[in-house]
Amino acid sequence: MRARRSLYLFTFPALLVIGLFFIHPIILTFDMSLTNYKGIGEANDIGWRNYERIVARDRYLNEIWLTLWYTVIVVSALTVTGLFFAAMLHRLPLIRNFSRAALYTPAMMSFVVVGYIWQFLYSPLNGGINVALRDLGLGAWEQNWLGDPSIALYSVAFAQIWMFTGFTCAIFLAGFAGIPEEINEAGRLEGASSWQRFRYLELPLLGPSITVSVMLTTIGTLKTFELPFILTKGGPDGATRLLSIDIIDNLFGQYKFGFASALSIVMLVIVLAVAFLQNKVLRDREQA
Amino acid sequence: MSLTETQTTARAHTGPDWDFITRRAKSILVHGIVLALVGIMLLPLIYMVMMSFKTSTEIAQDPLGLPDSLYWGNYMAALSSMGYVRSVLNSLGITLSVIVVVVFAGAMAAYPLARLQNRTSRVIVMIMALGLATPNFVTITPIYVIFRDIGLLDSYLGIVLAFAALKLPLAVFFYTSFIAAIPMELEEAARLDNCNNWQIFWHVIRPLLAPVTATLSLFVMIMVWNDFIYPLLLLTDKDKLTVMIAVYKFVGNTGIDPTKLFPAAVLGSLPLLLMFAVFQRKIMAGATAGAVK
Repeated sequence: MRARRSLYLFTFPALLVIGLFFIHPIILTFDMSLTNYKGIGEANDIGWRNYERIVARDRYLNEIWLTLWYTVIVVSALTVTGLFFAAMLHRLPLIRNFSRAALYTPAMMSFVVVGYIWQFLYSPLNGGINVALRDLGLGAWEQNWLGDPSIALYSVAFAQIWMFTGFTCAIFLAGFAGIPEEINEAGRLEGASSWQRFRYLELPLLGPSITVSVMLTTIGTLKTFELPFILTKGGPDGATRLLSIDIIDNLFGQYKFGFASALSIVMLVIVLAVAFLQNKVLRDREQA
Repeated sequence: MSLTETQTTARAHTGPDWDFITRRAKSILVHGIVLALVGIMLLPLIYMVMMSFKTSTEIAQDPLGLPDSLYWGNYMAALSSMGYVRSVLNSLGITLSVIVVVVFAGAMAAYPLARLQNRTSRVIVMIMALGLATPNFVTITPIYVIFRDIGLLDSYLGIVLAFAALKLPLAVFFYTSFIAAIPMELEEAARLDNCNNWQIFWHVIRPLLAPVTATLSLFVMIMVWNDFIYPLLLLTDKDKLTVMIAVYKFVGNTGIDPTKLFPAAVLGSLPLLLMFAVFQRKIMAGATAGAVK
């Protein structure tokens, strides 16, 4: 038994690194969140005032809602697009591997690069999308994709959905591969159409894959920072100002380290709460 | 699936088999539609490559057209002023160092977690789960302050340790589920030969970890290579910039000039995309490892 206990010595290097550069920083973040630290000079203890300001101002509550709404859009869309491509490709073995890799390629790229490409695609005059619409005779559909407050958030979301459709598709394809062939065989003998087989046989069996995909994309999307940072910097008119954008702005735009830390702690609590709730709801549903 | 089916039905008839022909046509049509949709998804990437070869006049006059000829001038300009080679070497060095730390510390930590189930292991697993869920901009402020105070700002060592702490939880999860699947009998035989824990880990467990190490390394490589916020804030020395920061500085400093933006985007993504082309199967397997569990 002693020998087994001493096994925990093996965790020492990992825990040391994580302790110093992850746990310790989180504790420091919390400490700083109770001060008005400006990056240099004195850090005055101001109690919970930063948090009171967050709760009292519509600006921050709106950012939280915007972050959650953005996540809902991206995660639902990614689930649908991923399921669509996976269901199609599962039925088309000839082009499955090629298409899976092709769809996954954007997920291999950096947010910075993806942000730049879409920034140019969206640009109002010579941008790829507006020019394509004009060439197709759909000039009336031209938009100022990133400049119009009513659509900017959806434009940013679209770029993110484009980037990660291959990711959810790959997860669902693995799920499809785990469905026993006999089940579909039986469905086919009963004369079920392709859609009916998907809807009534495959979809219910994909529960675990959907859980994994939704949880991974939710956490990933809540953390979104780079795309709106490159594409819109939170504009126009705050239309894409997610909580993460405001944290970075407070931090390295205004050097309000204390207040940025309070926002970070709020962010962390939201991410953990959502992850916990989702895990519970989705796992329960799976068992039901 | 439908190929064998349709062939057998085809043999049963004589003359033109319309059933066979319509099914065949339908199958070709479906393949065509799905391939077209995949093609549409690739359009932004094709656009990126196409634009990188156009002169600024071509871009202004015909924003969507194919370039008249492969114009390498944009690439020449980008290569000469974005410090590309240096930044690739920096990214490579940082990425490989992070992989070494994460693989060693991760595999070691995973061994007891895979073998012992008690309160201690549950607490450690919880810490790892917290690490997976935490956005990196939550810890970046204090890391910046800590590094500034102990002189790790603008050092390779600092950024490697910061990345290692960020990616270790993932490594621990990868290895824990993998080691848990290794039969205990292998270890027990070694234990009877009086091997200590370290010898068992090093001589019995470690040699079996190669496949999961390969997948994990590719994963960590993608994430570290593409990361933006850590190197942006922790490195300022021009000679230490990573590829993505070099791209960001090169493009960001000049507004959006397409003759700079697109070649820089291609150059920044090229090393990873080449790697993806080679290790496609491994990466796809890793991407879905979580789903299978």
